[in-house]
Amino acid sequence: MTSTPVSRPDEVRRYNRSSLLRLLHVGGPVTRARLATELGLNRSTIKTLVDGLAEAGVVEERVPRPGRGAGRPSLLVLPQPQAAVVLAVDIQVEHVAIALVGLGGLILGRNSWNLHRRTREPGEVITHVLESTSLLAADLDLTPVACGISVPGVVRRADGRVHEAPNLRWSDVALGSRMSGALDVPVVVGNDAELGALAEYLRGTARGTSDLVFVSADIGVGGGVIAQGAPLRGASGFLGELGHMIVHPGGRPCYCGNIGCWETEIGESALRTALSLPATSPRGAIIVELRELGADPVASVKVLGEFAEWLTLGLVNVVNLFGPEQVVLGDLFAALPPVILEQVSDEVRKRSMVSRAVGGVRIGKSSLGADVKLLGAAEAAFEGVLDSV
Amino acid sequence: MSEPILHITGLNKTFGPVHVLHDIDLDVRAGEVTALVGDNGAGKSTLVKCIAGIHGADSGTVEFQGKPVHIRSPKDAAELGIEVVYQDLALADNLDIVQNMFLGRERGSSWLLDEASMEKAARETLASLSVRTVKSVRTPVSALSGGQRQTVAIAKSVLWDSKVVLLDEPTAALGVAQTRQVLDLVRRLAEQGLGVVLISHNMADVFEVADRIAVLYLGRMVAEVHTKDVTHGQVVELITAGRSGDIGLARPEHAVL
Ligand SMILES: Nc1ncnc2c1ncn2[C@@H]1O[C@H](COP(=O)(O)OP(=O)(O)OP(=O)(O)O)[C@@H](O)[C@H]1O
Ligand SMILES: [Mg+2]
Ligand SMILES: [Zn+2]
Repeated sequence: MTSTPVSRPDEVRRYNRSSLLRLLHVGGPVTRARLATELGLNRSTIKTLVDGLAEAGVVEERVPRPGRGAGRPSLLVLPQPQAAVVLAVDIQVEHVAIALVGLGGLILGRNSWNLHRRTREPGEVITHVLESTSLLAADLDLTPVACGISVPGVVRRADGRVHEAPNLRWSDVALGSRMSGALDVPVVVGNDAELGALAEYLRGTARGTSDLVFVSADIGVGGGVIAQGAPLRGASGFLGELGHMIVHPGGRPCYCGNIGCWETEIGESALRTALSLPATSPRGAIIVELRELGADPVASVKVLGEFAEWLTLGLVNVVNLFGPEQVVLGDLFAALPPVILEQVSDEVRKRSMVSRAVGGVRIGKSSLGADVKLLGAAEAAFEGVLDSV
Repeated sequence: MSEPILHITGLNKTFGPVHVLHDIDLDVRAGEVTALVGDNGAGKSTLVKCIAGIHGADSGTVEFQGKPVHIRSPKDAAELGIEVVYQDLALADNLDIVQNMFLGRERGSSWLLDEASMEKAARETLASLSVRTVKSVRTPVSALSGGQRQTVAIAKSVLWDSKVVLLDEPTAALGVAQTRQVLDLVRRLAEQGLGVVLISHNMADVFEVADRIAVLYLGRMVAEVHTKDVTHGQVVELITAGRSGDIGLARPEHAVL
């Protein structure tokens, strides 16, 4: 995105071209007429741009299915996924997922694997990602032009250095430079919750909502904030540790050195405890338990009442701090029984004065499922790509 | 809760004079991938076929979701929500993806689906698995790659809301990259809450997707372990010798034969 005034004709053309591509990438197939309206350009300019992109194989044009309206239908412009492909990597504590994602956000191929002990070490993860990527790329005959990586930890945006990812037991890993060195393409490394927020903003239920917070529970709890249409970042890009907001003085100790962090009350292990599941039970078992519980609203409230109260309490703080239009709950939170989600949103709307002021913040679950961070990583990679396709 | 969704005890199977499965106990848990491993001829496929109702077991009990059940035919298994995916890509070549996904699963005549809804259901199921490698659900299965065919076979179990999926060497006929894509799907099935049993000879694959490993040795279940508690070496020993250190069969001098 550029804020400098554009003047020279070729600059104008470049600017228009990347705006058009961004629109297609995020919004999907659209008619020429609609492109003209959305971009505020006349039809002949759109024609020139689209013709150029079609010739370069970046878009395809198709006659839309005959509609009711009279007259010649406007041609439908479709992004061609293979025209620009990025590698998305989602590093989680228990597993790693990779995907080759095409223009328009289509997952063209994917892989994932569980991590245990030694395979969780940075070197092992990097090697596995690289090997797996070249296999997939060769099989699909695609070459990624950029890479986005989601990491559950504190990440320096400028060079992709992972300062600390405690649940992974990583500290000070030069992930960005090691990956870009090996892949020979630009690499963006982001905090998982920040990338989750980006995915929700561009492709999820919060699409187009300029102020939103994404909160998700994995092993850890994280939050990402989109404020006035842009990711909110702190000094050096370090931000997003909402899970370490202290909500319970005298509560449980947290590995970050504090006591009573939000994460200790609403993270995966707190949820397991609330559900009386053994500490070894995998993610899928928690999902099953939540689904079964969800069929019984009374039992849901009985089992998860206290958990819901901690979730509410933290969310009231979050809403009061950031004043979002919408809060999106991801990962394990998206599997919470409907009655709990309802109760939490009602309570937050009641208790948060900011929510009351804006007429009630919307709180709901993510629609992107387990792929939310993977899709966010892809979008982070695409940011630098759309200008140069 | 966290009781197994499928609980098998004391299962025996003979083919004439050949005793292939001895007092097998096996638990399958929802939300987990259990790898079933063992040497050639150890009885893995036979066990899956007994669970799927293709072979009748000589003795043993099967509990599904906590209730005793009698699976006497593949139809019984399908009705409970147990789906099997075989190595030999058991799809009908001459039919398209939609037809294959609905093949043999006509539900009560009261809600026969029309073509358009069937097509929509097939498309939505594949999309829910974020499998977008097939261009159209009207593609005949014969035109798909091996990996895509296995994907369709697995998607079928999701479409029919199966609770347990048994996969007998689903990637044996596939190349490396295709294998990885199928295993990714297998892992994600469990993450969505299905109980998954995966038969595989590839230890690297097993360690990458399985939460537990069950080892068959000469028709006996010698170990059921958490993947994170064992090494490749230990599992290979269990497969080839039936024991590894304290895990598996008792040492011969202590064994009561
Ligand atoms: N229909 C049958 N009739 C007679 N014997 C059989 C039959 N099916 C299997 N067997 C025997 O049962 C034993 C177990 O076979 P099974 O196919 O279950 O092994 P497996 O573990 O799946 O081996 P593989 O890894 O080679 O697939 C073998 O000795 C086999 O010869
Ligand atoms: Mg076999
Ligand atoms: Zn903390």
